[in-house]
Amino acid sequence: MEAIKNAVDFSDFPRLDLIIAGTLAALFLAFPLFPHSSFAMSTMIQFLMFSIYGMGWNTIGGYGGQVDLGKAQYVGIGAYTTAVMLIRWDIPFWVSMPIGVCFSVIWSFIIGYPLFRLKGHYFAIATIATSLVLKDIFEVWDFVGAARGLGISPIKYQPPDFLRLIFKEDAYYYYVILGFFFLGILYLNWFRKSRLGFQLRCIKDNEDIARSLGINAHWAKIKTYAIATGFVSVVGSFHACYVKNIEPEDTMSLDISILIALMAMLGGAGSLWGPVIGAGILIPLKSYLKEWLGAAAGLVGIDLILYGIIIMVISAFEPRGIWGIVERVRRRRKR
Amino acid sequence: MAFLELNAVTKDFGGLRANDHVSFSLEKGELVGLIGPNGAGKTTLFNCISGLHPITSGRIFFDGEEITTMKAYDVARRGMARTFQVYVASGDLTVEENVMVGCFMHTRSRTKAREKARDILKELKLHTLSESRVKELPVAAQKRVIMATALGTKPKLLLLDEVAAGLNPSEIEEIMTSIRHVHDDLGVTVMLIEHVMELVMKVSARVIVLDYGKLIADGSPEQVSRDRRVIKAYLGERFAAELAPEIQDNGTRMNTDERG
Amino acid sequence: MEILFGAIVSGLLLGMVIALVALGLTIIWGMMDIVNFAHGEFLMLGMYTGLLTAQAVGMDPLFTLPVAALVGFVLGLLCYAGFVKYLLRGPLVAQLLGTFGLMLFLRNLALLVFGSEDRALHSGILVGKSFELGLGIIIPATKLAAAILSVLSFLAVWLLMTRTKLGKALTATALNGQGARYMGIPTEWMNSLAWGIGGATVTVAGALIVNFWAVNPFVGLLFTMIAFAVVALGGFGSVSGAFFAGLVVGLIMEIPGIWDFFTYITDSTWMAHVPMTSFKYMWIYVAYFVIMVVRPRGLFGWKQ
Repeated sequence: MEAIKNAVDFSDFPRLDLIIAGTLAALFLAFPLFPHSSFAMSTMIQFLMFSIYGMGWNTIGGYGGQVDLGKAQYVGIGAYTTAVMLIRWDIPFWVSMPIGVCFSVIWSFIIGYPLFRLKGHYFAIATIATSLVLKDIFEVWDFVGAARGLGISPIKYQPPDFLRLIFKEDAYYYYVILGFFFLGILYLNWFRKSRLGFQLRCIKDNEDIARSLGINAHWAKIKTYAIATGFVSVVGSFHACYVKNIEPEDTMSLDISILIALMAMLGGAGSLWGPVIGAGILIPLKSYLKEWLGAAAGLVGIDLILYGIIIMVISAFEPRGIWGIVERVRRRRKR
Repeated sequence: MAFLELNAVTKDFGGLRANDHVSFSLEKGELVGLIGPNGAGKTTLFNCISGLHPITSGRIFFDGEEITTMKAYDVARRGMARTFQVYVASGDLTVEENVMVGCFMHTRSRTKAREKARDILKELKLHTLSESRVKELPVAAQKRVIMATALGTKPKLLLLDEVAAGLNPSEIEEIMTSIRHVHDDLGVTVMLIEHVMELVMKVSARVIVLDYGKLIADGSPEQVSRDRRVIKAYLGERFAAELAPEIQDNGTRMNTDERG
Repeated sequence: MEILFGAIVSGLLLGMVIALVALGLTIIWGMMDIVNFAHGEFLMLGMYTGLLTAQAVGMDPLFTLPVAALVGFVLGLLCYAGFVKYLLRGPLVAQLLGTFGLMLFLRNLALLVFGSEDRALHSGILVGKSFELGLGIIIPATKLAAAILSVLSFLAVWLLMTRTKLGKALTATALNGQGARYMGIPTEWMNSLAWGIGGATVTVAGALIVNFWAVNPFVGLLFTMIAFAVVALGGFGSVSGAFFAGLVVGLIMEIPGIWDFFTYITDSTWMAHVPMTSFKYMWIYVAYFVIMVVRPRGLFGWKQ
């Protein structure tokens, strides 16, 4: 079908990019076969998860230009749907995950309609507000375990359980998330050249023109927001099965929302590789900072201090992200 | 009913009246110029017609339908395209991609959109630039991209906003050819806002003049250029008295509200 | 009945202090259209300043205000000149995330330096005393004093902004940066000053709040969101709007008390089961959302 052909059509990228991407893809596939520490493995899984979060964010935040700082609520919806369905009714991941996506998308339409009347800062803060509201609700809702959260005990199941996504070895989780990662990239590759993708970019550059060209800007943004939501919800569901212990504070906090936005911004919002690059730098950085510094005697929070400084430096001096630098250098070389 | 009909269209911005009871009608196939001194309300009028601004009072009809309260994208889908002075759909996209954005109004498939875009680019002789990023092109080419993008939406009526601004004489000739081509060969009704007089007067069969939000003259280029009110608007009372000492009564259509 | 009046009065008093918190934000926001996510962190630092100065020097917490103001002013200036100035050049994403980075930095710096436990004031001329307001309403003296001082500070800033030449220059820069520059107003100085004043007002508010609210490094975010809600309601850039909106938001924060009152008089069991106390902050976020969608200009604002 035309859609699949378009999804795998990377021909508009320079050869060098494709070679690098291909090599990395091969390395990713082979990674578990090389000797690695469990720390490295969990970092890799986190990297892939956040790449996908970032890719989802990138649709509405990068291509669409609307900075969304409330994605964490969908992580929560996805995670909790899967967790609750598994614990209470023994429903496998592959059923609960799509259901989670449905819930997330429905919610995104409900708040999206009023939300997209806002722009810029006002929009961003409103997204934070909705995310915090949801988090507060989850923190007192006994059905989902309130502030204590929910725990999935692997003993009840026979790992490796492919239906419920319960495994003893991380390598299984790794391949599952890697699969989602590749699917995500293919989808985004299709998206950025699709009708909606083009319309979004026009909306971002000049909304009046978009409207004069027959584009219903409000609706286009809502649709894209729903797509971003879907991405995040899928990984949220995965998160529940991987981490097996979820609570509102670490799944739905503002910090997570900001982290997601940061991935894309650092790597280059509005580009296909941006979020992956961003995640590739930030996640290992965060993990290793925590490992080395966080554990150092009495220096609580110093990893986050450094983290904050890094964010500040990037925002002030290279706000278009790493991909922005790459493109700028390339353009200069052309002349 | 006329193809495009405006009935006492008024637009207020708080205390400022940008358009004051403007009424006129356009027949299908016309090529009309809209002129007036800076700040006369021309662009605002376009915004009102194309649905970007809600109007304070009055009514607008297009192709048999009332579009007074319609949103811009609905109006566009009914066959009215509107260009903006400086902006293209997206500076980062290539010329071809820009035109595709316009074409996407009528198709979901990107292959079809690309085909249509290529056709349009060939019509307007822009196909050699199809892979260039628009913001790297010279102004004259950008203006033609703007027109091409609008054409992608298969308009019946095209509102061009200062499409010749900033162009040198030979570029103006090019744009004029493109406009004539769009009107004569592609059958699009055209209304254009212009400050470049030679373009407007040469290309239009009819010219409407706005001043301080009011419609002050509506006639052929010759009539309008000798109309006392028009001269007064542009050059002031003194020159109007010198150049057109008698009150014009040569068949220039007046805004009916003025007579009363 | 006393519960209701008590809640209302308490809310209004809290509201006056909250108005001061939001004042700094609305000035900065009105000036240069940048959202400062670290606003609550400034407040938190103001709280610590007030607390520690009072404890170190042994003077009454209420006299620490000048110190807090100074700290806030310097902090605001530094943040602008050293960092925010560069943010303004970049895209929106960078601005939002940049001040968020500042928030992380300040919050964790405080965590490192002060530790994570709650700290509260235990001594001072007003601590532990309360006023009886008649109708059976009892309010802590600290809260009353804080409210009064807030209002005074608010008035001071309002006078500054509207009656002095400096204030008018600031407003001019806010309304039209280019125009102000042509008039010879040094806009860069104005921006720095706005941050200085904004910083000072919020740290003073912090020094006042610490009289009745315990401090730890994490209180910042809540107050940032509260300040956003107030600014949204009052209108971005509007000083008087911030005051009235502050009162309203203060009342919103007393919703649990009001809810309890109605639960009591209607004697209803379902109402008693709703954990309103946990939701008290949630209403603020809901309020922000509703305001922005329904009336983005706020009550008195002139910017959208």
